[in-house]
Amino acid sequence: MKITIGYLYADLMNIYGDTGNIIALKKRAQWRGIDVEVKNISVGDKLKKGDADIFFFGGGQDQAQSIVASDLESSGKGKIIKAEIERGVPLLSICGGYQLLGEYYKPHKGPKLPGTELFPAYTLASHDRMIGNLVINSMFGTLVGFENHSGKTYLKNKVSPLGMVVKGWGNNGKDRTEGCIYKNAVGCYMHGSLLPKNPKLADWFLKKALEVKYGKEIELEPLDDTLELQAHNSAVKRFG
Amino acid sequence: MRLLTAILFGKTIALISKFFKIGGGSAAPGLYALKINPALVSDLSKQVKKNVIITGTNGKTTTSRMLAHLAKEAGLKVIRNHTGSNLERGIASTLIQHSSLNLGGYRTKFDLGIWELDEAAFNSVAPKLNPDVIVFLNVFRDQLDRYGEIDTVVKKWCGTLKNLPAGTKVLVNGDDQNTLKLAQCFKGKVQKFGVKDYKIKGESTAHNQGKLDFEATNIRLNGLKGSAFDLHTTYKILHTTLPLPGLYHVYDALAAITCASLLNLPTHRIADTLKTFSPAFGRVEKINLNPTSHRNPTSEVGYIFLIKNPAGATQVFETIAPNIKPDDRLLLALNDNLADGTDVSWIWDADFEVIQNQSRAKSGDNTIIVSGSRAHDLAVRLKYAGFSVNSDDIQPDLKSALKQARAGLKGQLFILPTYTAMLELQSILAKFGIKKHYWKEEV
Repeated sequence: MKITIGYLYADLMNIYGDTGNIIALKKRAQWRGIDVEVKNISVGDKLKKGDADIFFFGGGQDQAQSIVASDLESSGKGKIIKAEIERGVPLLSICGGYQLLGEYYKPHKGPKLPGTELFPAYTLASHDRMIGNLVINSMFGTLVGFENHSGKTYLKNKVSPLGMVVKGWGNNGKDRTEGCIYKNAVGCYMHGSLLPKNPKLADWFLKKALEVKYGKEIELEPLDDTLELQAHNSAVKRFG
Repeated sequence: MRLLTAILFGKTIALISKFFKIGGGSAAPGLYALKINPALVSDLSKQVKKNVIITGTNGKTTTSRMLAHLAKEAGLKVIRNHTGSNLERGIASTLIQHSSLNLGGYRTKFDLGIWELDEAAFNSVAPKLNPDVIVFLNVFRDQLDRYGEIDTVVKKWCGTLKNLPAGTKVLVNGDDQNTLKLAQCFKGKVQKFGVKDYKIKGESTAHNQGKLDFEATNIRLNGLKGSAFDLHTTYKILHTTLPLPGLYHVYDALAAITCASLLNLPTHRIADTLKTFSPAFGRVEKINLNPTSHRNPTSEVGYIFLIKNPAGATQVFETIAPNIKPDDRLLLALNDNLADGTDVSWIWDADFEVIQNQSRAKSGDNTIIVSGSRAHDLAVRLKYAGFSVNSDDIQPDLKSALKQARAGLKGQLFILPTYTAMLELQSILAKFGIKKHYWKEEV
């Protein structure tokens, strides 16, 4: 078996240590004998259906983020990603990537910046900097990460958050929700990197990617996650 | 009168904190004195004949120390802030400590002030120091929880530079695309230093930066012993030998020598002068881990390399990897205190794979011990970089980790701590009788 990881805007959206998610997906697939290819998809690149079996979209600086926002729209990549997610292709987006995939982002000044409309959510600029360790309860159990954002994201009705905040701010610091999950696409504010310390979530992404690609149910071989769970538990203990 | 009161008050606090060993006395005196006289830094630094500011993500301390070394060798009386105390209060503390009170008021008698400034503190403090030269070393992503984005750091520097007099000499790293941008913000002349052929790795590396005013060529990296290079200026070539390993230190030396030449210090003896340079604590420090043993003087050699952000850590890995032998061991310590950055995500952007791929330690002892408040995160990072790590290698308590690393050690021990882990390490080593405590260390 083989999976292709589509790393969206790897050269522009890569400053918050989120690359660990790519490393985790890659290693956890390889340790099970699954071949992995990481494909960087950035400004100027074309994207078509089936190019990637799973997408990753990280956080970037404000300036990079506006370049990416306009490329998603003008190149048509945003539409294709949306169609791929509709047919079940998994995606993990964090911070800036998560915001860009919502309906819009409203900065302090000027008009709303339209998003890809993948997540039924919108983000408003704020003057609060929400920084710190973040612990949430989710359908994948407890998840731990680190948030660093000032945009406040609000989920529309009938959409599920990734989880509920135990410690930290989450989407907006008010309604205790964190992240958003739509089909097999996840958006959230959890740096850390997220997947290495939350191996259950990492494996869920791999499983979904393989199932959509090969059209059958897949059981992943279990791995020895002693170190990962120790790191997970020690973070929960300290910050949760 | 207000200034005198502030100095007096600051000096009293310094005495108290020294007496009770509350700290190195490097921040508190300035903090309180500034409350009495907010203009203290500007008032006192005017007494110093010339002032230099050094800022950037990596290399501030080493560059400042090298410049101080060159200036002292040239016979200048130098005043500079203590290592790590690079906010306004740290500078105020140093100025207070070195001003003498007498009937006529106060006086400071220094030829050169060398001020290492935190990237964010630069904007408020630089104008107060009335600098003759400003050196911008580099901007890499570092502690996003504290400084914000790289673009923000550069934008703020730009704003500060715009308001400084055109006569200020501004020196930037010409191999860093962020510091290069500063040329557009300054009405005076901006001079560039850089390295030919070798380029430092990192997300900020510039290509096609135009002509450099000061260029290092013919670089020879000589393992852990150090490196050598030729520095080309408009008028001459300086053959330089540096007792510090790693390309990143070539950049620091380049900045220091170039700055010395802008200050018209005699540079013809620089090659000899730098040979006697000793690094600041934790920045490539070589230590004897077992000073009481006479059995084998070459055993138990340790090296301390500070790691604090992805670019800096990767440069350290590239420096040590080819020098790790089969019997050597590694001790890595990751803390998440404020001074380290509370977000440890950065370890995923640091290229630990370099050590795994380039080291010759594939066989042999090959022990790695991880420590610090985030030791478990480090263990996971190493596992995903291809190291074989297990739970026994995790020892969050640094003292126990050091003991474990030394037990049965046949080769060298490479210790890579983050900032507060390094401070802790210094104090542990002092207790073991290995190293002087930091406040006793010569500045």
